[in-house]
Amino acid sequence: MQPNTNLSETFALSSRELETLVAEALRCGGNWCDLYFENTTISNLMLRDGQVSSGGHHLDYGCGIRVLSGEKTGYAYSESTDMPSLLKAARAAGAIAEGRSAVAPAFGRSTVCVQKQDFYPMRQSWKGCDPAGFVPGLLSIESAIKAKDSRAIKVIAMLGWSLSEVMMYNSFGELCCDLRPTGSLSVSVIYCDGRSTQTKNASRSFRQGAEFFCKENIDAVVEEVTRGVDALFEARRPKGGQMSVVMGAGASGILLHEAMGHAFEADFNRKGQSIFAGRLGEQICRKGINIVDDATLPACRGSLNWDDEGVPGQKTYMVTDGVLTSYLHDRISAGWYGVEPTGNGRRESFRYNPIPRMRATYMENGSDGSLEDLIASVNRGIYVDEFSNGEVKIGEGDFTFYVRSGFLIEGGRLTMPVKDINIIGNGPQALADIRAVASDLVVDPGKWTCGKGQSVPVSCGIPSVLIDNLTVGGE
Amino acid sequence: MISKQEKELALQSLELARREGAQHCRICLSKNVTDMVDTLDGEVDKITHCLDRSLSISLFVDGRFGTFSTNRLDGQELQGFIREAVAMTRLLAEDPCRKLPAPERCCREATEGTEMQTYDESYESFDAESLRTLALAAVVDRTGYQGFKVVSEEGEASASEFDTITADSNGLMCRLRETNFDYSSQVTVETPDGRKYSGYWWESTPFLGKLDISGTGREAVRRAAAQIGSAPVAGGRYNMVVSSEMGFKLVSPVLNALGGYSLQQNNSFMAESLGKQVFSGGLTVIDDCWRKGESGSRLFDSEGVASRPDDIIRDGVVKKYFINTYIAGKMGLSPTIEEPVRARVMPYPEPGLDRDAILRKVGSGIYVTGFNGGNCNSATGDFSYGIEGFRFEDGVLREPVSGMLVTGNFLELWKHFLYAGDDARTCMSKLIPTLAFAEVDFNG
Repeated sequence: MQPNTNLSETFALSSRELETLVAEALRCGGNWCDLYFENTTISNLMLRDGQVSSGGHHLDYGCGIRVLSGEKTGYAYSESTDMPSLLKAARAAGAIAEGRSAVAPAFGRSTVCVQKQDFYPMRQSWKGCDPAGFVPGLLSIESAIKAKDSRAIKVIAMLGWSLSEVMMYNSFGELCCDLRPTGSLSVSVIYCDGRSTQTKNASRSFRQGAEFFCKENIDAVVEEVTRGVDALFEARRPKGGQMSVVMGAGASGILLHEAMGHAFEADFNRKGQSIFAGRLGEQICRKGINIVDDATLPACRGSLNWDDEGVPGQKTYMVTDGVLTSYLHDRISAGWYGVEPTGNGRRESFRYNPIPRMRATYMENGSDGSLEDLIASVNRGIYVDEFSNGEVKIGEGDFTFYVRSGFLIEGGRLTMPVKDINIIGNGPQALADIRAVASDLVVDPGKWTCGKGQSVPVSCGIPSVLIDNLTVGGE
Repeated sequence: MISKQEKELALQSLELARREGAQHCRICLSKNVTDMVDTLDGEVDKITHCLDRSLSISLFVDGRFGTFSTNRLDGQELQGFIREAVAMTRLLAEDPCRKLPAPERCCREATEGTEMQTYDESYESFDAESLRTLALAAVVDRTGYQGFKVVSEEGEASASEFDTITADSNGLMCRLRETNFDYSSQVTVETPDGRKYSGYWWESTPFLGKLDISGTGREAVRRAAAQIGSAPVAGGRYNMVVSSEMGFKLVSPVLNALGGYSLQQNNSFMAESLGKQVFSGGLTVIDDCWRKGESGSRLFDSEGVASRPDDIIRDGVVKKYFINTYIAGKMGLSPTIEEPVRARVMPYPEPGLDRDAILRKVGSGIYVTGFNGGNCNSATGDFSYGIEGFRFEDGVLREPVSGMLVTGNFLELWKHFLYAGDDARTCMSKLIPTLAFAEVDFNG
């Protein structure tokens, strides 16, 4: 493994000291140890009521130490990286091995140990940037929105940026470092037409440096948050029930995230909890469908040069030509299944041990025509294109996601706008019920965050798809 | 707990901020120690030791305001951090509404931090080995089940201590010290046809001696097994009874809509409702914030403003908005505590009703034991949630239900409120009992 940036000065530790910490952590007999050092700065500026009058800056610094004894985990962390504090944490984590007779190692080792490409190089580092330079851009957002739509009565815009310096060292003697920038712009607008009030949100989030806050991204958010406002005021709830759903390209990728992605995370399968446990190699949807989880998309919010266990970022095919071909692995699950880790070991911060998590999850293009073709093939159903949160029950496979906006489909045409409805289904059944996949893949550029006890940035995407038999909430 | 040295450092940061140019400042020093033991299928799977310290600083500089935090509390590091924070605050626009709360509104009673009696002295002698023993003692006996097998059982035992000091440049000094002991169990069961069902249950208390985990795993298994064979029933309009563990999903959106930020941004379906009867006359919600010995009870909010038990909704009439110092200035209203500390839905129509009594009173409908995703439009109150639970008839639970959605509007839903039980779980932050509503739309 090659460090792409040397951060040993940031954390003020020598190679000898790293070796000493690992040795101390394994003193009770553990058979794997990794150290995760993190120095994160998070800053934000907020536009509200026409002025940028609040903002802040937050530091988070520390080291997490993990010891594995077989598949068992000991974890501790320290917010100070002086040796006495770290040694104390190492001993606390190493206690997992106390009283256990020798067990076989159960961690997966990657044969690919070199990350040759930086998936998110910063053209302009957030470090040392002058926040005053962002204020005019934020102010321009409100004026641009109000110029486009006089019904906009309140605008909130939040620019957030962060930079994480991460250094990982493990008991193989492997050292790697990563600089992880993120820039995010979220805009929320309240519209009022004198009779009712509606809200609309849009965001952009990329792993980029200060070049993120550019005219192109500002314009894109303004365009998105002012698009379809008329429909928002006209929208009604449809009559609910089971129906065909055309999911527009991009944000509809939440379907993959909730309905399939979580159930493919290998920890749930290793423990027998997932509805997809024991189904590797089975045809789970129609031929031609490929579903991937990808850490290698340039500047993508879900991309990673290295995962949080020091495994190089990579692209993982979970479903290949309709067949379940891989789960998403961290080192523990990879060891248990006897495969290589897939680079999905992720954590929110040094305070958490890594677990299998998604990165950028999407379906590759199909060959069933265009979005218009899909809509034309539906007699009665809905088309959906804006979402908020989703959720899944891993064992049952039941998923849900919330639709902010869409349209009723009647006789192959979009008719009445709809909003504020929930859609539910069952993961394996929904996969089997995918009737058509268009060739217009979009990875959504929004600010998606996945919660699984820990929050991590992710992305999702999908071409337009047509799914039969989903349950839609309504009057 | 926070040491004398840490406390002094935090207080020094007030002076540091003043020296760097801040006219006013508020700090909050938090220290949290948590130990956890996770079990998987009857064996210890993970042990975790956490120690967090964080200093949050709110700065008021030349009419401007910024919020900052760091966990690097070394003296020199802190000085540099505060200097940069003051400089960043100066970049922001002036906002005359940003002020510290008036000293007379602030809490003066929280001097030791233990006034709410949520600190268990025995925490200090509770060691990692005791926690491991506790976790293993709760493991479920997997034998004797008919019609399904337990395929996975995860447990988590934790012991934690939380200590926080809030102080400001007007002389505010509040402290809160709490302990917490928790155990949770998550179980997956499988039927002979390969279908899986999950169940979850937990216990939580500030006092080790009150933590009874003997039935936690069994309850998780019972909840998983009760869902076997669940399916949607015909969509339509039903009475809805919601379990006491899940009622917060229906109460929280209303409380959020009474919050100042939503109101000030015209993003609240409760706008212009103060003093008006907007709900069923049976609905009374109070802020029961001083319940001693229960987690979540507080003498002060994040600004240091003193809490007091108070009506939020009385007989269906909205009695209170939650307006912090900033929003009070923006909206020209009198400030209150910034959010309810412990919202409590009062029993209706009489005290003492439990779930079964409410099911009998309602007669037939759908009893909701879980919400799966969904959302609420904060501007309109429209909502849609996935649900699971049971159909009930003649006051008796019948077949399990899943794969259904409940859809409506919160203003309408609470106009159709029927009953509230007297069975809220005191280990939850909101005290919400079993709730019943009429004429709710379900889709399946």
